Amino acid sequence: MHGLYYDRKNDEMFVPVALAGAVLVFRGGATGDEEPIRTLQGPRTQIVRPDTLYVDVEHDELIVDSGTDSILIFDRNAKGEAEPIRVIKGPKTGIANMYGLTADPTRNLIFAANRVGEETGRDTTDSILVFNRTDSGDVAPRARIGGPRTGMLKIRQLQADPERGQLFVTVKNNRENYDPKALMPSPWNPERTGFIGVWNATDDGDVPPKAIIKGPATGLVWPAGVAINPETAEVFAIDSVSNSLFTFSMPELFRRPPSTASSSGR
Amino acid sequence: MLRRLMPFAMLVAALIVAPPSRGRHSRSASLDVGIPLEAIMRENGCLEPAQARDDSWPPGWNTVAMAGGDVPPARVVRDPYPTFHGVAVDPANDVVVMSDSNRHALWTYPRTAGSLTSKEAVTPLKGIRGPATGMMFVASVALDPGRREIYTVDNDIGDRLETFSYDQMGNVKPTRVLDVPHQAWGIALSQKRDEVAVSVESSRMVVVYRRGSTDNTLPLRVLRGPSTGMGDPHGVGFDDVNDELVVANHGNQSSGVFRREMKTQDADSVRSGQPHKDPWQGGRWEQPSLTIYRADAAGDASPTRRIQGPKTGLNWPMGISIDTDNGEIAVANNGDSSVRIFSRTASGDVAPVRVIKGSRTQISGPMGVAIDAKNDEIWVSNYGEHTAVVFARTASGDVAPKRILRNAPEGAPTSGFGNPGAVAFDSKRNEILVPN
Repeated sequence: MHGLYYDRKNDEMFVPVALAGAVLVFRGGATGDEEPIRTLQGPRTQIVRPDTLYVDVEHDELIVDSGTDSILIFDRNAKGEAEPIRVIKGPKTGIANMYGLTADPTRNLIFAANRVGEETGRDTTDSILVFNRTDSGDVAPRARIGGPRTGMLKIRQLQADPERGQLFVTVKNNRENYDPKALMPSPWNPERTGFIGVWNATDDGDVPPKAIIKGPATGLVWPAGVAINPETAEVFAIDSVSNSLFTFSMPELFRRPPSTASSSGR
Repeated sequence: MLRRLMPFAMLVAALIVAPPSRGRHSRSASLDVGIPLEAIMRENGCLEPAQARDDSWPPGWNTVAMAGGDVPPARVVRDPYPTFHGVAVDPANDVVVMSDSNRHALWTYPRTAGSLTSKEAVTPLKGIRGPATGMMFVASVALDPGRREIYTVDNDIGDRLETFSYDQMGNVKPTRVLDVPHQAWGIALSQKRDEVAVSVESSRMVVVYRRGSTDNTLPLRVLRGPSTGMGDPHGVGFDDVNDELVVANHGNQSSGVFRREMKTQDADSVRSGQPHKDPWQGGRWEQPSLTIYRADAAGDASPTRRIQGPKTGLNWPMGISIDTDNGEIAVANNGDSSVRIFSRTASGDVAPVRVIKGSRTQISGPMGVAIDAKNDEIWVSNYGEHTAVVFARTASGDVAPKRILRNAPEGAPTSGFGNPGAVAFDSKRNEILVPN
């Protein structure tokens, strides 16, 4: 499993199961060998290999990565073989190999993290595509955060912070290739570590992050997941190579803004 | 059917969050929480001495004001000890080798290691670990006693089959590296056929190479397609006596994976990697199974036998071990923390001939199993505890093991992390949720 979402309002956990083309919903306090309270699976759902998802409690919608380069939007309570109510899919969308998905219901935005396959030989087009929440069909993204100045290479989980208009991004910043000629051929050599980057939700183009958690003191090697607790000003990061869970205290990132209006400039 | 998924879903680790730290960490502060963990890791050979050096800052970052930076964490959850994954025993050379998916390592122990009374970790004869090895999230392990070689394979990240010599140790490069498909898990060696087979989870296939293949050598043949009955295969083994190939399947199915051609060598006259049309769309669950094929099966071949159904008790079958001397197949049944032993010739919805299960067995989330017919023993590698446990080969029921091999002091907790890919915060319960 490469995704998980906790819905506090309804006290439910949503889990994408890539190997069985399904989304499972558990009660928030589920433990042990407990059955899901809802299952979404089958050809009509268009869910094939889901890695990531988001629950928009404000609009009662479930947003799912189909695993086939499309974004599926369901009613939050969808179950069985329910059809999506909207699908963002097609060549104009630019969606490819999605590993991160989140949304900002306040600004009506959906963020999808593209990751270009290593076999293509391209390594600079990893990017975050930004769609309008109500987009449907083959639509171009309204914005794209990507380029060499972003430092994005192998993006994983995304986490929006709608109250402050921020977007937390996990970037592995490395490859899985093995170069036998290299002294330390494995990418978990800590000479090139991944990071957590923070962008404004309204950013567009090749812009550096406004904040980072990166470097040897962080302990991060390949951060794959990020979550936040604004109440305690903490950022949680899971690392898929060091098999570690880190908690960072970052009060400077969680100061309440003077207004919730978004700002595109820095 | 859904019930079988629950153990995996519930690998979600709910970790109680400590009270929030107060005040800002100095940018130069040491990783105070992590130091004890790192000390343990260095002591047990799980941390290379190299210091982290960050030389990959993107262009323009040095001229931009950014908040944060090289910030030490306030808290760290990490298991500093190895986590056993696969296990393989070599009675000819009197060693047992286990893969470690937590610290990306291979550990070699004496075959007679472990005791029922010791509460301390056993010191391995040898450990192979470090960035030079290329090992990432390693899964199964297999041994070639004649050539004194160790095989392991990267699951989900890495996509490599690495081969090491028995004589290697430390942070060393493999003697051979073979690129394999994404999400490989099981390894099978055939001395008779001079082949190595690898199971691949999401693509629902077994890929067979000439032993000794390196780099991006194409496979000899591929076993895949809707007729194979494979679903999320894990354990795989060759039976060189009866010329068979045995595969353990979780039963997960998703569509679209057969549509792409898998390239094989020109000598593959049946073009076993040719595309197939999926008979279904979307995902579904089938019952877990053992599927048995001819050893040379290729393409969309049907199994000659299939062990599947409620009587089997199969639930997340992981590693398997084939005992040709006694005509049995042992299965590490992760879903109910048991080892199930079937007759080699069993077929259909049949009960195992023996089951080792219960609190006295100390089997916990087993990933690997290895039968040592020469010494009449069966090894089980636990993922849920810092142990491997050894039983008499014919053990049955809720019985205590003969020996316990610990890789950490008794009682050391396991985080259960294995290539975690996401995290969520449950603000209602003040818990952090981590799916594996």
